[in-house]
Amino acid sequence: MDKEEEAPQIPRRTRRSSTSSWASTSNDVSSVKVNSLEPQTINDLLVGGEPVSLDDLLSNFPGRNSQIREIVHLLGPLNTPMLPLFVYGGASTGKTSIILQLFRHLNRPLVYSSCRTCYNPRILFESILNQLHLHRRSAANGYSNAKRCERPSDFVNFLREALTNAINNLKEKSEKLMSSKTMRGGIGNMIYLVFDNFQLVREWDKSSTILPLLFNLYDMLKMPEVGLIFISNSSPDTFYSNMGYVEPIPVYFPDYVEADIRKILLRNQANPKLYSSFLDVSLRPFFRITRQINELSTAFKPLYEKYCEPLSDKSIVPNEDMKRRLFSHIMLHVSSSLNEIFKVSSLPLSKVESSKETTQKGTPRKLEHCEEVAKLDFHMSTSAKYLLISAFLASRNPATLDASLFDSKGGSDNRKRKRKPSEKVPEKKESLEEELLMKGPGSFPLERLLAIFQCIVSVADDPSDEEEQNGFGLGVEGACGDLMSDVLLQLSSLCNAKFIFKGRSCPIEGSTRYRSSISEDLALKVARSLKFPLSSYLYKRT
Amino acid sequence: MAPSSSPIVTDSLDPSTPTETLDNDLQPFFVLHKPSSRRKDRSSTGQGKQRKRNELSSPQNTKKQEGSVNEECDYHLFKPLQIEAFNSVWSRIESTIKDVLRDLNSSAFKDIQRWILECFNAARLHGEPNITEATRSFPILSNATPGQLSAALVITRNIEFVDDILTFEELGHFLKSHGCHVAKLSSVDFSMKNGIAGCLKALLREFPLGEIDSADISILASWYREQDNNNKPLVLIISDLERCCGSVLTEFVLMLSEWVVKLPVILIIGVATTVDALRNALPSCALQCLCSSKFMIGTPDERMDTIVEAVLVKHSTTFNIGHKVALFLRNYFINQDGTLTSFIRALKLACLLHFSMEPVSLIHGHMLAEDQKDWISALSPEILLKYMDEFPSYDRSQIASQAGKSIAQGLSDLITEKKLWSTAVLCLCEAGKYSKVRLLDLFCEVLNPDLYPHRDSVCHIRNEKDQGLSSTNGHSQQYSSVQTGGLIRQIVRKVRDLPTGALGQLIKRWEKLTADISEIHDKLKTFQSSVRCEDRRSPRKSSKDISKRYGSKASLDADNELTMLNLQAVAFIDCLVRNYMRPIECMPFHEISCFKNVEKLQVVLIGDPRRRIQADLLDSHKILRCSCCNKTGNALLPSRQDSSILYSLAQEHGDLINLHDWFQSFRTILHQTNKRKPKSKQSPQPKKRKDTAGSGDQNEASIQARFCRAVTEMQITGLLRMPSKRRPDFVQRVAFGL
Repeated sequence: MDKEEEAPQIPRRTRRSSTSSWASTSNDVSSVKVNSLEPQTINDLLVGGEPVSLDDLLSNFPGRNSQIREIVHLLGPLNTPMLPLFVYGGASTGKTSIILQLFRHLNRPLVYSSCRTCYNPRILFESILNQLHLHRRSAANGYSNAKRCERPSDFVNFLREALTNAINNLKEKSEKLMSSKTMRGGIGNMIYLVFDNFQLVREWDKSSTILPLLFNLYDMLKMPEVGLIFISNSSPDTFYSNMGYVEPIPVYFPDYVEADIRKILLRNQANPKLYSSFLDVSLRPFFRITRQINELSTAFKPLYEKYCEPLSDKSIVPNEDMKRRLFSHIMLHVSSSLNEIFKVSSLPLSKVESSKETTQKGTPRKLEHCEEVAKLDFHMSTSAKYLLISAFLASRNPATLDASLFDSKGGSDNRKRKRKPSEKVPEKKESLEEELLMKGPGSFPLERLLAIFQCIVSVADDPSDEEEQNGFGLGVEGACGDLMSDVLLQLSSLCNAKFIFKGRSCPIEGSTRYRSSISEDLALKVARSLKFPLSSYLYKRT
Repeated sequence: MAPSSSPIVTDSLDPSTPTETLDNDLQPFFVLHKPSSRRKDRSSTGQGKQRKRNELSSPQNTKKQEGSVNEECDYHLFKPLQIEAFNSVWSRIESTIKDVLRDLNSSAFKDIQRWILECFNAARLHGEPNITEATRSFPILSNATPGQLSAALVITRNIEFVDDILTFEELGHFLKSHGCHVAKLSSVDFSMKNGIAGCLKALLREFPLGEIDSADISILASWYREQDNNNKPLVLIISDLERCCGSVLTEFVLMLSEWVVKLPVILIIGVATTVDALRNALPSCALQCLCSSKFMIGTPDERMDTIVEAVLVKHSTTFNIGHKVALFLRNYFINQDGTLTSFIRALKLACLLHFSMEPVSLIHGHMLAEDQKDWISALSPEILLKYMDEFPSYDRSQIASQAGKSIAQGLSDLITEKKLWSTAVLCLCEAGKYSKVRLLDLFCEVLNPDLYPHRDSVCHIRNEKDQGLSSTNGHSQQYSSVQTGGLIRQIVRKVRDLPTGALGQLIKRWEKLTADISEIHDKLKTFQSSVRCEDRRSPRKSSKDISKRYGSKASLDADNELTMLNLQAVAFIDCLVRNYMRPIECMPFHEISCFKNVEKLQVVLIGDPRRRIQADLLDSHKILRCSCCNKTGNALLPSRQDSSILYSLAQEHGDLINLHDWFQSFRTILHQTNKRKPKSKQSPQPKKRKDTAGSGDQNEASIQARFCRAVTEMQITGLLRMPSKRRPDFVQRVAFGL
């Protein structure tokens, strides 16, 4: 092992100094790594693995029977030309895996490229060419590509060249196979280009060149041995498609129905009976929220663990009584994690783990944790807090009310004053409030923010001084003046924390506008930590 | 601590270029010239911290210079010695801070590392793809559900990010030394402008891949699979989530999750505020790719307390700050920006100012060498004596001023007294942990010299009552009500009500703390032995907890005993406060190591440039001290600086200034000169008149030009806003009041 580790480092060092002479040094490298890195053959274009029968495939993908048969039909028997295929359907409906498994079953070469990994045209082109040239990037060749290709026109030329090569290669091979053995089918002469995540291409350079190019590839190449398969999230209608090329044949993958999801989730379970009783309880509510397999499976993983918690033996086959007990045990968790998954699916997991950690570390921690829930659990300087509150107010309250809210007497008086009109016309108020909710947080100029900030600080200053004196016994000298001094710095750090958004400058007034994006919950927490009467300053809620 | 703060200080330390720095750095604060690059920096709302540092650097220099100019003649001799002393002291403090912070984080780091190993092993359990599989373009087919990216959310719990740059750097080093491939990305790499390409490029740059012209994640996958690189986990640290561009991060996470089987990246994401930040930044499709766990690192409060403990309490002999300075720093930390970085910088400034202002401070550096006779001989004792005589504390303490010997005696006394003091404070702080008293607050209170005499007298009263040791609740209440020190009182109250188990722990910790200081340790010992006597008297000694549970009488007994023990502990605290907690400012010779000048520090830290500019514009004559303005005082003279005139005129307007009126009044003031000047100069009248008549138009033009330039200057300094399209003939005042 030592030798192996040492040897490759030497050529790398030399390569760095002599920039592109990797060809000369590759000799000694290949001597070391020959065992692991054989040169690629055309067989590397196959999906490989154990061959699967079509029946296995169909049983592996419940609810996808018709789609698989349709695609098989469209691909046709060995060595038949095909029209471009456009496979589409929602996220995690099995598009990519079905295509790949199908090719594993058919044992035909394919060139796969995901437009997510290949995030721009150049990388897409080079990745396709690398695969066709049977080129593997490694330390030995400095991770370089087989061909450097940036322009679409170059790509078409290179692609044609590479494809002819590869197809000739294939033909030779199949002839050899025919002569030597009559094995199962052989791999044929066709090469299939698969473009996954094709919907992302629309965003590259506004889809002006690449999209037509790829759709047009079939016409441009005029090679019957090349099959094109596009896999996309969105339907073909969303691609600009009246350009005069051959329209690809659409294959739609609909969302799974509940029974299919059930079958899929049950596929690899150690204890299917127990899991199915678990699914009886939890699948229905979750199914109403999401039908994506991966979301469901990530949500179910911790939940199933919870479900199994009362059981000592997880391989047990549950009877009715136990099911009932488990049901009452899990019901609470289901409803709570339903809420979680609706917002974020990653969070239940993290919460579970963090709570585990706290239990490991002992009870005092846990108690602390519970206490902290109500409090603000990160550090913010006092002036940043005031600034955040004023930003929240500025975003929430209409600017016209500022004068009445922040006059010399402070907020408490105005509240009474404000209530009277609100009682008079409650309907109007309601509609207004609805409108406010629909609009979301408003934007405000810097001056308004600073004005509110100053008002708040000066109002809150008098009582807070006393409190500070009581609480800490430390004289706070000139707290107000201190708070005011570098507000802009605080503002920028609030912007960095994404509590306040800085918009583009307003075209009419020419000044930058801000918008506060924090939830009322957070604002209340902050206000509580300052003992600031936030609710009396909020315009709303009669 | 912060990388850019160190050059600043070394700059100001350089004695060879005093005049240059003086000139350059005075500019932005007193005189308005053409907008220099620095001032432009300030008017644009750009990178906050950097800007702050820029501003900070200048007043510091000026202050330093001013200070040294005043005393230059006297202390010229000591300059290099002072610098040397400062360097040695500060390097000590700095290394202490670093060690302390590292220790503080180490447990969290270990947790993270353990978690990484778990993730890595779990990923390996699923089977490793070989290199051919891993370098192929299509995903690996397996029946298992697609894997999730393991992500650790490291919650730093401080909205300001500066402190955590260092934390994540150290985390990176730590993981690297524990056998991980570590790559660090920051928010700069996740910018909208460069998109996913920029962030991949930055990622690949972290690995030894050589020159790569198109960043592609498959390169990393093939690198990871060859040459046994896959023996180690691949860790990717994204240090500040909040600042990252959400869409780029989403793309990145999705791409990584596509490769997760071939390239098992483990993400470490620094979150400044709450977990919600991640929820807000990423859409659900990206969130579900993450299998996240939460890690907490110390809050800034905790870190602050450990720093205060290590630097200001434990090593109080090296350098210390007075009460007002401590209070100022505390308020600055809580109110202004709660970063350790700025606190440490402030401390450094205080240290620097101290060594530059206090001539005797240089003794200090030698005191550190613990060779107390050397320093006396190295300096002429007469000069030292002269300075020391000026110490108010020296007079107060009334040590016989015979020669160097008694001074040496005084100094060593100071050192021992400080050691006692710091142990006492630590003990108190240990007790304070039960009532959640922050060390920083306690420190401020303990330093307060005003409270000291009260405390003293209170303790005397207490002492008398202690004799009987029959203190009931009433006594204690009286005690607590008399005592003025809020926090100490709080602590005492808490200790009185502490349950036995906790009290035992506390006493054990006290023992550990006082182990080196025999004086206090003995006190503790006697207190403990008295407790033991009490214990022996009571029949059930070791089974207090059990006895508490059974029977009412037994529990009463236990309660009694409990209060006894508690009262003893209170008495011990009392003794600490009374005997050893004399505020540093009350010790003789404290001037040597204690920095008290809060005003200077305040000016240096809180520049408040805009107010300064306004003040200076309004009475520029006081700064310029030109002959003409001196006589007339506040009246507006044409010879005054243009922008100064304009700003004074602007005072008469509201928030909107009519440009025409403003210009007219400006012109009249300038014309006023043209009339007055010749008279005062008594030059031949006709000639002058001819001049004005001849160049009348030109004069008008030049006045307009001057007006425009002055207005622009004021705009640049942020005092007003240029006319908008809506009201083309009005400028708006932005800054009001001083």
